[in-house]
Amino acid sequence: MELGGTEGTPRGLFTCELCELTTPFTYYGQKPPNTRAIVLLEECYVMRDPFCPEKEKFLVLGSTCSLCRKTVCVSADCSLFYTKRFCLRCVREHLDQFPPQIQAELRKKKPTEKTSDLASS
Amino acid sequence: METDRRRDSRSWDWDSPQCRAQLDEVFFRPQDYIRAGSQEHREFWTFFERFQRFKGKRDMALSKAGSDALKDESRESKSRKKGAVGSVDLGLPKEYDARYRINVSVCTRDVEERLGGSDRRRQTSSGPGKEEIATCRLTLLHFLDFCQRQSFGKLAKLRREQRSLPIFQYRDRIVELVRTHPVVVVAGDTGCGKSTQVPQYLLASGFSHIACTQPRRIACISLAKRVSFESLNQYGSKVGYQIRFETTRTPVTKLLFLTEGLLLRQIQQDAELGRYQVLIVDEVHERHLHCDFLLGVLRSLLRQRPDLRLVLMSATINIKLFSSYFHSAPVLQVPGRLFPIQVIYQPIPPEEQPSRSEKLDPRPYLRVLQGIDQRYPRGRGDLLLFLSGVAEISTIQEACQTYATHTRRWIVLPLHSTLSLAQQDKVFDISPPGVRKCIISTNIAETSVTIDGVRFVVDSGKVKEMSFDPKAKMQRLQEFWISRASSEQRKGRAGRTGPGVCYRLYAESDYEAFAPYAVPEIHRVALDSLVLQMKSMGLGDPRSFVFIDPPPAASIQTALTYLKDQGALDSHGELTAIGKLLAQLPVDVVIGKMLVLGSVFSLVEPVLTLAAALSVQSPYLRSAQHNPDCATARQPLYSNQGDPFTLLNTFNTWVQVKAERGGGSRKWCRRRGLEEQRLYEMVNLRRQFKELLKSHGLLEGEQGAPCRQDRRQRQQRFSERRKLHQLKRDHDLQEGMRRKVLRLEEGEEGAASSGSEGEESGRGRRGKDEAGQSVDIQEVKFKLRHSVTELQEAAGASQDLSSRQQALLKLVLCRGLYPQLALPDEHNATRKDSEQIFHTRNKQGVVIHPTSVFASDPEVLHVPEPEPRETGSEKPESSKHQLLAFVTLLETNKPTSATASECPPCRSALLLVSRSVDTNADCTRVVVDGWLELTLSDADSALRSISSALMLRADWERLLQAQLRNSAPSLDPAPPRPPCLAVSYSLRRLGGLEAQNLYVGPQPALGLPDAPALNPLFVGMKAEPHPMKGGLRVSSFFTYNCLSDSKDLYSECMRTFWSCPHCDFYMPLTPLERMHHEATCRPAGELQPKDEPEDGTAASSKSSSSSSSLTRVYHCDVCDKDLTLTSTQILKHKRQHL
Repeated sequence: MELGGTEGTPRGLFTCELCELTTPFTYYGQKPPNTRAIVLLEECYVMRDPFCPEKEKFLVLGSTCSLCRKTVCVSADCSLFYTKRFCLRCVREHLDQFPPQIQAELRKKKPTEKTSDLASS
Repeated sequence: METDRRRDSRSWDWDSPQCRAQLDEVFFRPQDYIRAGSQEHREFWTFFERFQRFKGKRDMALSKAGSDALKDESRESKSRKKGAVGSVDLGLPKEYDARYRINVSVCTRDVEERLGGSDRRRQTSSGPGKEEIATCRLTLLHFLDFCQRQSFGKLAKLRREQRSLPIFQYRDRIVELVRTHPVVVVAGDTGCGKSTQVPQYLLASGFSHIACTQPRRIACISLAKRVSFESLNQYGSKVGYQIRFETTRTPVTKLLFLTEGLLLRQIQQDAELGRYQVLIVDEVHERHLHCDFLLGVLRSLLRQRPDLRLVLMSATINIKLFSSYFHSAPVLQVPGRLFPIQVIYQPIPPEEQPSRSEKLDPRPYLRVLQGIDQRYPRGRGDLLLFLSGVAEISTIQEACQTYATHTRRWIVLPLHSTLSLAQQDKVFDISPPGVRKCIISTNIAETSVTIDGVRFVVDSGKVKEMSFDPKAKMQRLQEFWISRASSEQRKGRAGRTGPGVCYRLYAESDYEAFAPYAVPEIHRVALDSLVLQMKSMGLGDPRSFVFIDPPPAASIQTALTYLKDQGALDSHGELTAIGKLLAQLPVDVVIGKMLVLGSVFSLVEPVLTLAAALSVQSPYLRSAQHNPDCATARQPLYSNQGDPFTLLNTFNTWVQVKAERGGGSRKWCRRRGLEEQRLYEMVNLRRQFKELLKSHGLLEGEQGAPCRQDRRQRQQRFSERRKLHQLKRDHDLQEGMRRKVLRLEEGEEGAASSGSEGEESGRGRRGKDEAGQSVDIQEVKFKLRHSVTELQEAAGASQDLSSRQQALLKLVLCRGLYPQLALPDEHNATRKDSEQIFHTRNKQGVVIHPTSVFASDPEVLHVPEPEPRETGSEKPESSKHQLLAFVTLLETNKPTSATASECPPCRSALLLVSRSVDTNADCTRVVVDGWLELTLSDADSALRSISSALMLRADWERLLQAQLRNSAPSLDPAPPRPPCLAVSYSLRRLGGLEAQNLYVGPQPALGLPDAPALNPLFVGMKAEPHPMKGGLRVSSFFTYNCLSDSKDLYSECMRTFWSCPHCDFYMPLTPLERMHHEATCRPAGELQPKDEPEDGTAASSKSSSSSSSLTRVYHCDVCDKDLTLTSTQILKHKRQHL
């Protein structure tokens, strides 16, 4: 009855290059194990969802920025997904190409983003 | 979208269960990521409703702001064109859709069918149409994205918190130090995060098989929970805990939190401790007995295990001591994370100082409360008040409550270990806005209990601590000034959640004069168990063991002597067979002895319960003492045999109630003022004891009882267990989310009705909402762990005892408790109930603990008919004298003996358990252990008592030794009967001078013709003159005719006529000769217990009148023949010639 033993062996450490969030991942790719119906639209660093008692639930930690190839976490402070993954630095650089909804969101976020940027560098 | 929905006017209804079920078949099939019926599936539909509502609102807003959007769009297209010139084209879709922000796609039935080309579903008119499928699909994607965000948010928050801990910066340094040094000391103050983080750092950097010890069980559980959550292994078992009765350890467990005592037990079994790679000993500064000992053991273990890594974690207290004990191990000091705390010294003015006998004056404490109300009228922040003891707490609580009722700004809550757990738990509940909690606590809140939200601390500077007097073997509870270290610890409690204030009710000069550190436990307690454990671990002479802070030599000596007296160590200080066994039992020597004796004498069930009852805190809540309803309800449980028997009754009755009413037992307990938790602890302990006895061959394993169940029963039990497991898991999940809001009246109830009533109503109220949403988790755990039917049988077995068994049980108890005996004062009958006085060997004027049965009903102990017969002495003679056997002697204002059991001295117990029995020539004066004198007027019955006691003891000893040697259960050895003689005697305590001049002293050997014949009676002993006392030492404990007032030195040669009740023997005999005859002559039909062959008293000891092994060669001068006869036969033979 105990859920034990099969936590999945970590394949390595995932570290976000922007916020330095570090955590072991158990899978990299688009098809997380034990999730038949799920397909990810990008190559992701994945782990078993640690906050869910069910074993087959997964959690996407991050992926690679489609522009600068940096490894970034999925936190809204570090990256966003819009058909592809972009780290927030690249988004800012090409902000004009993003739809107004996203532009507005980023303008709102700016102040908090700056401080976290300072903290991480 | 909205228009789509309106157009779709078929019979589609999103809220209808049928429609949803149809969609479930598409999206939530058993093989899908989310299955219908699961928790997430329910969450999805809740999300669905919210999502649709949100979309509806947004669509409306959009259509209103349509023109703005248009403008936006034109601007966008412009800017996009501009951007395309300078840099790469990202190839993003022109139209914004939230769908593009989701990085997940789901393959459900609709997709599969589309791919498969079959489109049957769309033919059915009532099923979900294309739009419904699309809506549901989109919502599902958003739901999955939402779940991902939620979980990732938790992860990010967790990591953020970890990084903000002061210890985080030292992470690499710590790992590096541990890699390169066998011992590392990590010193950090409250809030630096060492207990949770250091084990994780080591785990993450590749160490495995890590054990982390904690002084408290509760810390093991909560740390394991927290660390497994933080290391993202909440639902795995990589991180586990192990405490006395519970473990979550599995083969994959890499980090284990366990108690210090448990690790010591593990070392006892595996001296090398090969299963661990790293040992972390946390809270070493608290200096608990086990911890100090553990450090000593580990210090020597490191020599054998150079690969072992040891990490000591401590507050920044006396760090040098630990470092230098481990050959100047490196120290890493980490700053704590406390908010600034302002210290205000407010010494109590002389006129408010309590004199010794008076109650505490509450005025200094009330002034603090008033001060807080004036200076900080707003804002949150509770008050924690440290007092020395329970009496002090109730005095101050009363005064504070009056103030609180008046101001309606405070909720006053007491906190100490004798409160019920529910009452203790209240300190964690939240106060309503504008009201502060005022928690009045013993030093329990200094380390063991951490309450968040405290911003004010009042420190009385006092603590009540147990100290041990090795000479009187007595514990003392005395009030002391605290140490500077604990004063700082108390202060720190104010700064956990924000800047705080600490009011010290003493002067700064007092503080300077405090001892720097508290006295370590090893200096304050009896070391019996510790020394026994050291012996069993082969650590050599305890006196030369290198402790971090060696205990007083007298304490170790007392323990050694005690263990020798108890037969756990032999005269060379080596472990005896029983000593080895006692060392395995994780209990006090006293209790261990009872367990062993109980199993030898086939009284296992009741003795298991007794032993468990005496090892846990009493379930009888003191607060219910003065509640008349509780008292009445308790009455049937009381036993006039003493407290242990009351506990036995209580336990047995409780088991019956549990069997009949299950969870209803909670109410049953409440009505009687019983803390049910203690009873649960007893059940657990009982089982542990039973397993220990089994594993040591003292108890047979149950034979196949479970096999007899048929399959249906097994299935039933299985499905029941599954349900219980589910309940437990649900409870575990809910835990921690249920902090209640206190009511303003909470404290008033408690204060108004001295405890229990308030608890009753408080709990009753709680009981209601608990019944709705939660289960009695203790009941669930109980059912998971124990079989009620089995317990019921056990309880039954220990309830219906024959009077003989009852007497035997009492004997086992007394032999366990011996030498802790107390004699009632001779004038007790004329004293008030509360003033009954008792005397122990070393301490006069002991009173009984107010919770004892004998305190409320002392008549039981009075000698019933003190008809003073003229027997040459003015003391009353009776056959009904009582002695008290007690568990602990505790000195507070007066020495108090806690749990007590009556013990009739001569009839059985005293002569059977005592270490030394000395008599005069005709055995009419018996002195036990040099302090209790029995005087018997009737020489004949005197002799008979002594003689039967000697026989019985010999039998007991043989039986016990045989059991221990075989270590196999014997086939029901007929337990020896305690003699039930109604002998009249008087009993008194010898005065100091009398005790000094008790013995005749050594003297030239007396010609005793028959003396050698006594040998076989007392195996392995020679009857020889006692070197110190004089007289004749007949057995290890019995010295005959050594009392200095013996009327006639030659009386041992004086014969009186006596006829044996078992054979037709009639002869003039000396007392010794008679005893010997009695030892060899048994009533027909009663077999003598089989002797071990090596005893020399060979096999044929079964004959009813004599045994060949007792014979010797006798040369009769008259017949001039060598005859092989027993001594009685010799006497008979001699008589023929008269």
